[in-house]
Amino acid sequence: MRWLDWVVIVAWLVFVVGDSLRRTRGTTGLTGYFLANRSLPWWAVGLSVMATQLSAITMIGTTGQGATDGLRFVQFYFGLPLAMVILGVTLVPFLHGARVFTAYEYLERRFDAKTRALTAFLFLCSRGLSCGTIIAAPAVVFAGIFGWDLRFTVALIGIPTVLYTMIGGVQAVAWADVKQMVIITGSLLAIVVVLLLRIPVTPDEALVVAGTAGRMQPFDWSFDVTKTYTVWSGLIGGTFLMLSYFGTDQSQVQRYLTAKSVAEARTSLLMSAYWKIPLQALVLLIGVLVFVFYVFNRPPMLFNPAHDARVREAEPAAYRDLQTRHEVAWGLRRQLAPAIGGRGGWAVETFRKADSALVTTRTEALALAGRVTGENSRDVNYIIPHFVRTQLPVGLAGLFIAAILAAAMSAVSAELNSLASATVIDFYRRWVRPEATDAHFLAVSRGATALWGLAACVVATYAASLGSLIEVVNRFGSFFYGSILGVFLLAMAPWARAGGAFVGLIAGMTVVGLVSFGAPQVSFLWHNVIGAVTVVLVGSVLRVGASGTVAKAGAA
Amino acid sequence: MTEPSSTEPPSPRPGFLATLVRVLLVQAIALGALALLQYRYGR
Repeated sequence: MRWLDWVVIVAWLVFVVGDSLRRTRGTTGLTGYFLANRSLPWWAVGLSVMATQLSAITMIGTTGQGATDGLRFVQFYFGLPLAMVILGVTLVPFLHGARVFTAYEYLERRFDAKTRALTAFLFLCSRGLSCGTIIAAPAVVFAGIFGWDLRFTVALIGIPTVLYTMIGGVQAVAWADVKQMVIITGSLLAIVVVLLLRIPVTPDEALVVAGTAGRMQPFDWSFDVTKTYTVWSGLIGGTFLMLSYFGTDQSQVQRYLTAKSVAEARTSLLMSAYWKIPLQALVLLIGVLVFVFYVFNRPPMLFNPAHDARVREAEPAAYRDLQTRHEVAWGLRRQLAPAIGGRGGWAVETFRKADSALVTTRTEALALAGRVTGENSRDVNYIIPHFVRTQLPVGLAGLFIAAILAAAMSAVSAELNSLASATVIDFYRRWVRPEATDAHFLAVSRGATALWGLAACVVATYAASLGSLIEVVNRFGSFFYGSILGVFLLAMAPWARAGGAFVGLIAGMTVVGLVSFGAPQVSFLWHNVIGAVTVVLVGSVLRVGASGTVAKAGAA
Repeated sequence: MTEPSSTEPPSPRPGFLATLVRVLLVQAIALGALALLQYRYGR
């Protein structure tokens, strides 16, 4: 890291924290702290929604996935536009019109306290831990690539984020998100320009090379529930997942509850409907271009330098053998790359064989690294940071790292704010001190934000040793995501009753758990469909318990 | 501005179809571009 890169990073952090706090003067009550007094314009809410979804994993993991797997992952988002339109006419007017602080608060009005408490509790468990993993992902990678101390990166992301979220509340979060989306998009476009300048062939020839290596296939039309990314899993499973994420997850619901009106909330979601797929395609295309760059420039066999060093030391003979095969395969692929402009022929076939040999060597090297270190190397996450460190010009590397930090901060700040809102509104105000003053709740909310921030930093610091626990929680999280959507769908059905909704929620999670363990080959995207459908069916058949207010939808 | 009564069941709002068509049109352009990429380079 050069000093100018550090100047860019520090200037960025100071600007984000300073400007966000400046814009939050006047946040005096709970409505201001959690809902920005329902005053934000649609474009700020829309950018905040997009920034919340886009984490550092997107910047480093998804681009790396583009390099190794091509454009396939874009199918994951095919259901998003449809989900946004559906939410715009269903849950958004319901939740905005109900004047609630949290999505779960609405469930008590509609059903009962225990349904609200259970859904809010599930949210706190899953988001509490995911917050830590969002910070941990870039911290672990930066430790490997730049040699930064893990605790230093956790503090670099955690301290400014907790600071502006705790003091400024949702207004600070939203305005920071706006700036963060700008730097993220700008740095993505800048890296595309650098890549096009560094690749020694025309963009058309570069894409031919990528296509020959199988990186240019965004559509997989096969209807196979065991495949994670297909057009159908994206369209059907993805729609349910996005409905659940944007419609029932407090970290997203809280974004559009800050909008001035239902119409502005709806328009803010449409921003994602229009731009998410092109943005995601751009992110993946960067990965594809990085792949092409390493067709013409020698790539390391393992991008994770710590693992590379440990394998080299522990298994020198095996490492040398793999390294030699890797060099030979890369040399052949490099030699043939300029000659595959035409379709078919000997050059194309030999290029594909060399690429396949290179992939095989890397797979063997990754397995060896796994055996030597006892860790899952997640080498794909190191591809882009390696490129940034070794290839980007001074200043631009700092800008890209600032963008990765921005992506982590925007996701974490929204989660901290929503965790605090669910803690205070759904538990503290509901069960502990219902009669306290607004000033008291505001102070407790700031304390809750600080505590959740501290917990996230501790989880991030010990993420490596908590690995298996986090995986268990993530897996458990996938059990209830679709089921919670099912409860909210039931909430809009006039015939549904509280008892049916609660039993349906338990049934939905149980069925998804059984499918997950009984048929682990079924892709997780389908779990959301299974969970939601089970809850709606059980809740529709079992009409017991109280029925509160069906809907209190705001007008457009 | 109308405020439906609290027990009124949800119903599709005016503008839903127009919004849906607009979103689908924009997506058709984005997905069409991806399909062109696959057609030109991905075979």
